[in-house]
Amino acid sequence: MALSPNDVRGIAEYARIALDDGELEQMTAYLNDAVDMLAPVLDYDLPDVEPTFHPIGDLANVMREDAELAARDLPLDVALENAASSRDRFFRVPSILGEGGER
Amino acid sequence: MATSFDSLTAAQIATGIVAGQFTAREVATASLDAIAAREDAVQAFLQVSPELALAAADRIDAARAAGETLPPLAGVPLAIKDNMNLVGTRTTCASRMLENYESVYTATCVQRMLDAGCIPVGKANMDEFAFGSSTESSAFHPTNNPWDTQRIPGGSSGGSAAAVAAGEVPLALGSDTGGSIRQPAALCGVVGCKPTYGAVSRYGVVAFGSSLDQVGPFGRTVEDVALAMNALVGAGHDPYDGTSQDCAVDFCEHLGDSIEGRRVGIIPAFMEAEGLTDEVRDAVQQAARALESAGAELVEVDLPHLDAAIAAYYVIGPAEAFSNLARFDGIRYGYQEPDCPNLDTQSSLSRAHGFGDEAKRRQLLGAYLLSSGVYDKYYYAAQKARTLITADYAAAYEKCDVILMPASPRTAWRHGEISDPTQMYLSDLYTISINIVGNGGISVPLGLGATSHLPVAAQLVGPAFKDRTLLMFAAALERAFTGADGTPALAVAPVFAGKGGELA
Amino acid sequence: MKELSEVLKDWEAVIGLEIHTELTTLDTKMFCNCKLSHDDEPNANVCPVCLGLPGALPVPNKRAIESIVKAGLATNCEIQKRSMFYRKHYFYPDMAKNFQTTQGPVAFCMHGRLDLEVTGRGAAERPDCAFGEAEAASLASASANAEGLSTAMAQQMRTGGESAGALSAMSGYDTANLALPERHEDGSYTVPIRILRIHMEEDAAKMVHVGGEEGRIAAASESLIDYNRCGTPLIELVTEPDLRTPEEARLFMEKLRRIFLTLGISDCSMEHGSMRCDGNVSLRRRGETRLGTKTELKNLNSFKALHDGLAYEICRQAEVLEEGGIIYQETRHWEPGRKRTVVMRVKETADDYRLFPDPDLAPFDLSDEFIEHCRAEIPELPDAKRDRYEADFGIKRADAEQIAGDPETATFFEASAAGLSGKPAQAVANLIVNELAAYLKGVDGGIADCGIAPAQVASLAKLLAEDAISSNQAHEVFGLMAESGEDPEKIVDEHGMRQVSDAGALQPIVDDVLACCADQAQQYRDGNQKVLGFLVGQCMKASRGQGNPKLFNELLRKSLS
Repeated sequence: MALSPNDVRGIAEYARIALDDGELEQMTAYLNDAVDMLAPVLDYDLPDVEPTFHPIGDLANVMREDAELAARDLPLDVALENAASSRDRFFRVPSILGEGGER
Repeated sequence: MATSFDSLTAAQIATGIVAGQFTAREVATASLDAIAAREDAVQAFLQVSPELALAAADRIDAARAAGETLPPLAGVPLAIKDNMNLVGTRTTCASRMLENYESVYTATCVQRMLDAGCIPVGKANMDEFAFGSSTESSAFHPTNNPWDTQRIPGGSSGGSAAAVAAGEVPLALGSDTGGSIRQPAALCGVVGCKPTYGAVSRYGVVAFGSSLDQVGPFGRTVEDVALAMNALVGAGHDPYDGTSQDCAVDFCEHLGDSIEGRRVGIIPAFMEAEGLTDEVRDAVQQAARALESAGAELVEVDLPHLDAAIAAYYVIGPAEAFSNLARFDGIRYGYQEPDCPNLDTQSSLSRAHGFGDEAKRRQLLGAYLLSSGVYDKYYYAAQKARTLITADYAAAYEKCDVILMPASPRTAWRHGEISDPTQMYLSDLYTISINIVGNGGISVPLGLGATSHLPVAAQLVGPAFKDRTLLMFAAALERAFTGADGTPALAVAPVFAGKGGELA
Repeated sequence: MKELSEVLKDWEAVIGLEIHTELTTLDTKMFCNCKLSHDDEPNANVCPVCLGLPGALPVPNKRAIESIVKAGLATNCEIQKRSMFYRKHYFYPDMAKNFQTTQGPVAFCMHGRLDLEVTGRGAAERPDCAFGEAEAASLASASANAEGLSTAMAQQMRTGGESAGALSAMSGYDTANLALPERHEDGSYTVPIRILRIHMEEDAAKMVHVGGEEGRIAAASESLIDYNRCGTPLIELVTEPDLRTPEEARLFMEKLRRIFLTLGISDCSMEHGSMRCDGNVSLRRRGETRLGTKTELKNLNSFKALHDGLAYEICRQAEVLEEGGIIYQETRHWEPGRKRTVVMRVKETADDYRLFPDPDLAPFDLSDEFIEHCRAEIPELPDAKRDRYEADFGIKRADAEQIAGDPETATFFEASAAGLSGKPAQAVANLIVNELAAYLKGVDGGIADCGIAPAQVASLAKLLAEDAISSNQAHEVFGLMAESGEDPEKIVDEHGMRQVSDAGALQPIVDDVLACCADQAQQYRDGNQKVLGFLVGQCMKASRGQGNPKLFNELLRKSLS
């Protein structure tokens, strides 16, 4: 079942990637091509095969001790260094709901 | 008589510095000179870091003057793929999104190379966020193949491969998610090794596909790559990367060993695959015969589920990429669209304008593949295919020590020649399955192709955590393709050899 | 709106709780080595991992895993050896990576239960008609929990060898193992409440909304983010929807809190948000087997808010339904000041969080040794402690329950009541439950550093048990001993407070009082028993508080008979 431009708009909104109409059309074509290319995978939904999410053999139970490590702490100025917008000691974002918005 | 810096291997540079033939500062300066002389044509770097390089060189020289034992790669200039954090440099991933991103910590792999004495001369170009096979998706500029600057160097670690092939540095770090070390190594005629998943820490390397990504070295000789592997793996498991494992061995130890009596697997289907050019096939067959002449036995092996590898890769890779790139929303770092009325608009426009086309395509594909109902059919099935392909390789290694195959179906193509993204995906035919199973693979140059007169290469792949064996076979292949007079199959691309960067 | 008790006669409230508890007693965050912040300056405890910087990777905190295993063992859960962390994606700036690392269909702890004892007034919230019949009926599908999990994940549990039991987590309300409550003669009842799962996850950053009304998000001109809390280890417990009254919900929460405090895994402060509760509630007519549409309640940040918020919401839903209206699946916010719930968000479709196993985190396959090590570290739990206090010290069950629920108090009680039983032990319990608790409210710090020693309380309890002082005097002595640190015996002697329990010494006072209060004496003789209290009071006054009130009572009765 092919993806419609409307489907793709929904995915793009969820993924927070704005697309204009032309981009939406191209993206829809691309996604349908790509999904077609993935068809061989559909044959592998086999009942008696376990999935491999981690290609790490038997490695399991990786944990660390509950101990502070000053070496990794970031001083405030460094933590905020790459932020486009900050205020006092905080990262800053614009109004979440929009001007006067209600959810 | 003046020596050209680019005629020396990493091993020779480190030895020369210990012996006092030249200083680390002289080497660093020579590397920076070579970069200055060659970059206009090659464009391998996104950022050159002379201050860091010279400071590191001076520390080496001071240590030597103080009588200290120098580390094994003391004074060896290193190019670092620009998805690896290094304090004092920006880490851009060749993306507008991170154009001004200052590294606030250093990746473990980079730190280990620096601890081994390497001199960081700069950050190498790449496909944006490592999405690509040509380095053309870099937001800043393309990189040119040193063997023909009209052509792409491969990718995504194209800058790293080109910097080594152009003689700007003897060593470079790259990352390989679906062939991003081995394919550009093949197209640029250098050695490129993707170690077993978990051998090298991923901490500090901007993630693309977390279960596929692995860091590895480029060099012009197998020995140099082995020395870099020692540096990357020698300190063992990285406590900051929960998927890294302890597998420290001396990768140089068996480089000279004979492969007599050992078995090399050949996958017949791979040698007849659609898209494989004659010159590459011929070269790989010649490599097989060379290994046979060196005493190895050739055996045919079969990987029945290999047909699913590309599809599985393009399910797992984009799904993980969508997840890993979700964090780039312009808030804590990265491009932020100015003057937005609300957060959703700011995030959506920051991501729309910060990311290039391929990064957006992969993320949306991933977001679709992970959505409810679709996940079951594609992602889950792809991970089952992964199980079967892993079992295929394990069965093959019952019959052989390593498998020989092409690294790329063809030699370097012209800029712009492949523009359809799904067509581009097929160029990873030979490399992808190794990332899916997490094994090691290495690309070894075999000389110039009969038709294109561009570098051709063979790929050797081996079982998990048998990367030392892989290097042993790679060294045997390298010896077999070295002329009687000691001329290697390929050295620095001739147009650039000796251009700038002389050592007194 | 009708009263709760009226509503619950006609309607059955089906309540489930989701309880988030921060593991505040750990030193570091869930996936990085940053210090756990409680009241540090904004963004003081951040690193590449919890800020979600490019290239950073998570590594789980071992003590956090131990803590959740202990929480599971203490709530009778099955510990799942094999489980994984998943990524749950949603774009919101309080999650530095725009995904939360949490668990998938299989959590570390599955299928537990806690038994509630509901007594006193609260027991009346569950009307007699609610015992058995509705629960016994089979229930149709209701996706009470485990949102966002896909069918393949369910399948994975079959094929992947993880607990098949988790399947029921997704197929709705499993009534097969639903146990019925048991009513006792005194009106109290016990009811087992099933726990669906306890999973491990990470907390989000704190946001400050600037410019909006009361710091609310609506109309805020900007928001500020502090990532100190981001990555704090968090365990989420989800109950089956087995609760039927707000009182049961409150008791469950209290009981869970006592257990977690005893385990030492959290400070469990509802006030400071280290223990948070959301309630899901739906109504159905008594006897109906299908579940109604549920609403989710937020901001239930005290035991009272939990009870009152649920009570309000049950009554509100009943009113809507009785008027022929429809309940929408929505999230509602409890406003304690206005005593109402208001809509926060309407859920039109199920959120699609794109869950998938986190490739950066190796799977878990816990060993028996690991689990047994956790079990061995579990101290005596509140229920066992309560039963032991009741049996060994002979104190009242309610007092035993209260004391056993707080580890510090329990330790103090055991030190104070050592070697005692019966009357003096009960006196110790009374002093701790009343005097000590009241005293602690007025001072900073806990029991350990409040300046009162168990020996003082023991000594005071003995004085009480011997009737050497009255309870009013005990209150006074408690204040003096807290202030001076001296032994109660000495205080009593110095202040001449020792209670007079000699009938010969008290009889003259009784005679005087009866002479002065002839009217009241006559009223008593005429059958007004209540007036005796007045006369005892007069005697106490006359004795300057030192007479034994019980003895006065006895002597007065004798004299008036």
